Amino acid sequence: MQVTGSLKVRSPRLMRGIDSLAEAATFVAPLLLLVAVWAIVVPLFQINPRIFPSLGAVGGAAIDSIRDGSLFAHIGASLLRVGLGTLIGIATAVPLGIAMGVSPTVAAFLTPLFRFFSVLAGIAWIPIATLWFGYGFGAIVFVIFNAVFFVVAYNTLLGVRMIPQTLRNAAASLGAGRRALLTEVLLPGALPNIVTGIRTGLGFAWRGLIAAEMIATNVGLGYMLFVARDFYRTEVIVFGMIVIGVLWLLIDRLLLVPLERATIERWGMVRRT
Amino acid sequence: MKTLSLRNLGKTYFDPYAGAHVTAVHDVSLDVEPGEFVSVVGPSGCGKTTILNMIAGFIPHSNGEILLDGKPVHGPGPERGVVFQSFALFPWKTVLDNVGFGPKMRGVPKAERDRIAREYLALAGLSHAANRYPAELSGGMQQRVGVVRALANNPDVLLMDEPFASVDAQTRMTLQEELTRIWQERKPTVIFITHDVPEAVFLANRVVVLSKGRVLEQIDVDLPRPRVWDELVKDDKFKQLSARVLQMVRTA
Ligand SMILES: Nc1ncnc2c1ncn2[C@@H]1O[C@H](COP(=O)(O)OP(=O)(O)O)[C@@H](O)[C@H]1O
Ligand SMILES: [Mg+2]
Repeated sequence: MQVTGSLKVRSPRLMRGIDSLAEAATFVAPLLLLVAVWAIVVPLFQINPRIFPSLGAVGGAAIDSIRDGSLFAHIGASLLRVGLGTLIGIATAVPLGIAMGVSPTVAAFLTPLFRFFSVLAGIAWIPIATLWFGYGFGAIVFVIFNAVFFVVAYNTLLGVRMIPQTLRNAAASLGAGRRALLTEVLLPGALPNIVTGIRTGLGFAWRGLIAAEMIATNVGLGYMLFVARDFYRTEVIVFGMIVIGVLWLLIDRLLLVPLERATIERWGMVRRT
Repeated sequence: MKTLSLRNLGKTYFDPYAGAHVTAVHDVSLDVEPGEFVSVVGPSGCGKTTILNMIAGFIPHSNGEILLDGKPVHGPGPERGVVFQSFALFPWKTVLDNVGFGPKMRGVPKAERDRIAREYLALAGLSHAANRYPAELSGGMQQRVGVVRALANNPDVLLMDEPFASVDAQTRMTLQEELTRIWQERKPTVIFITHDVPEAVFLANRVVVLSKGRVLEQIDVDLPRPRVWDELVKDDKFKQLSARVLQMVRTA
């Protein structure tokens, strides 16, 4: 049989495929169990749908929101804000982080500020952001930007600091000038930390997004939850929560984790966790 | 090719913990002719790394001069190639790109620097590893890459600070033999730092014995080449020279 024949080949790609299938299974199993408990418990104890919806009702809400297209409008609006805020955050944070990493004076001056603002990053800025940008797109993008910026800048700084001096010496003795040092050594050397910063920052940003959308807009996943609450539509709320969770997992697993794997693990700079 | 001269070279560190000045290198004068292989040997702490780092331009010197072809050197530069004990390969670059890094810095176009890199990788028997990343290689292979990366940039002087100290004994002997072979083929000027006396004698034309930041003695090594361990371990002249140098290092 050709199939078993090809299975026998120790193809790393195939092994990795089987690995990630097994990984996915162990990841999904507890979630399925939770859904099963939910499917049994809600009808069994006749729980008031204003307190918690049945599985069927949530399924219905899902179908409704897909049919009328409102789900995609909310997801699209949310993703656009997150994407834009994150891009602006990375584009500004990485250069600043590298400048801090290179110059001890700049780093010494800015580090306390960054520690302080890292704690505040994201949600705490919503009220003042709405005063600066009004209710809507600008305020929300600012909150996302803010959540990403401080974390990424701080991690970039750490990344640059962690590059061994011998690597800089090696580059210099091979003829690298300041510019080459930046693009050939500091940026790639700090990349593991930058990616970690982006993952953490996006996590903050995603939470910040939902909070900001509850307050500052009329479309988006956060808004979807918030409006449903006014009408006691627990099935819409729970469905929205599921969408928010699943979307984050997809972003993390399909975008950020592969980004880490494609580069950093190959370089042997961090171990798989 | 150029002559490297150290004139009354000295280095005094400030040790912030002790709050005191420490003179690591007192007064070192040394001339290295083009195409010469000089080993610098001495006990740990005698200032070997300090001297090499000053020549490489990684740290400033406190006294004296470092002249390359009569001109003082300032800071690191591609005319002084360095092989590091810790290899210092760029983890994010393939072996090919590591070796092609020097030519890239000189503005050599991609196709040409790949050709140069492949030529040097072949010299070290590493052609098969061109597309691997350093983390995928053994220590011995990584250091082979470290050596050819420095060579591929055609430096006037190759500076090596205990480059084989962190590989196992068998691999170290192979690397030493390969280095003498490569040296014979290319005749780079080499300053090789080590605390391992047989290694110093095996590789060099001249052994410089260092003691407490000063040159204690210089010994010419006129052993025939190519040098291989199987023969030299039985060679009386090699044994005599090694014994002499060892004696000096131990009393240093
Ligand atoms: N950065 C430094 N600051 C203070 N003292 C140093 C520094 N580097 C080396 N030394 C001292 O200088 C001496 C020579 O060190 P080093 O050049 O590393 O010797 P070797 O390489 O021969 O072992 C030692 O006593 C060491 O403690
Ligand atoms: Mg040393």
